[in-house]
Amino acid sequence: MYVWIWRRLPGGIPGKLLGCLILLFAVLVLLFKLVFPWAEKRLPFNDVTVDPTTRTSTPSPAATP
Amino acid sequence: MTDLAVEPSPARRHGGEGWRTAARGVGQLLITMGVLILLFVVYELWGTGFYTQAQQHKLETTIEQQWRGGSAPDVSTLPVDNVPLGTGIAVLFVPRLGQHYHFVVVEGTGFSDLQRGPGHYPGTALPGQVGNFAVAGHRTTYEHPFKDIAKLRRGDYIVLETKEHWFTYRIQDIPGTNIPWKEIVAPTAVQVAYPVPDQPDPAKAPTLKLLTFTSCHPEYSARERYVIHAILVADNVKPELPRALTTKPRS
Repeated sequence: MYVWIWRRLPGGIPGKLLGCLILLFAVLVLLFKLVFPWAEKRLPFNDVTVDPTTRTSTPSPAATP
Repeated sequence: MTDLAVEPSPARRHGGEGWRTAARGVGQLLITMGVLILLFVVYELWGTGFYTQAQQHKLETTIEQQWRGGSAPDVSTLPVDNVPLGTGIAVLFVPRLGQHYHFVVVEGTGFSDLQRGPGHYPGTALPGQVGNFAVAGHRTTYEHPFKDIAKLRRGDYIVLETKEHWFTYRIQDIPGTNIPWKEIVAPTAVQVAYPVPDQPDPAKAPTLKLLTFTSCHPEYSARERYVIHAILVADNVKPELPRALTTKPRS
């Protein structure tokens, strides 16, 4: 996969390196801005509340036993 | 035409290379997935803190403006269901966790509320009120306000600043009840945040002014909840400062 991308990047070695950096940056932005925030809501690491159902957004323990 | 069987055909040679390409592809895929998971860990433990820092900064500015603005009443005089979700309600100080430790507590314990700071369980008492001021906070992600919750000890103070007051709570077993200063409970143990905690009736009328913290436990897991209980011991009207902030915590 990486070889395939490397072969297709234009501009000789400097152009290819620059292309790599741009692609890497784009992938990181995509991951940190979209993919990870999306994924973390589906994973339990951020559960810190006590809640009868354990996974609702706004528990109100005073109202729901 | 007899050597056809001996000489490997171009097609077969191509087939061998196909296997090599496939193996290399699988290897690269596995490495990529490993790097992805590592990046996710970096995001969770470190990246999420940037968001919270920025949000806390905003909340601080807003709450200071509100306090200086004059017209809004002190949060301790409001009815509990009258605070908009996501707004800052008080500033939290915990001397045990450092001289500079402070967080704006936001109303609500939804995902987006807790991304911004420790969150007040809606419907539970507000600072200084009779009942239980219950707050949830992250322990490993989003600037982890309750990262060091396990360092809190019996006798430590928790101070809440509102517009006109400093409310000082002390971590201790609650007198006349079965409420311990610290407990580790199942994630479904909502009774820790009841107005009268740790008994089955959520509607039981409270008489004491309590505070409860919840966070995840063990650290980096969400299997259980770490819970701290405290009781109001001082109410200083500004500009008088609370003793808990002017004296060092006992070692």
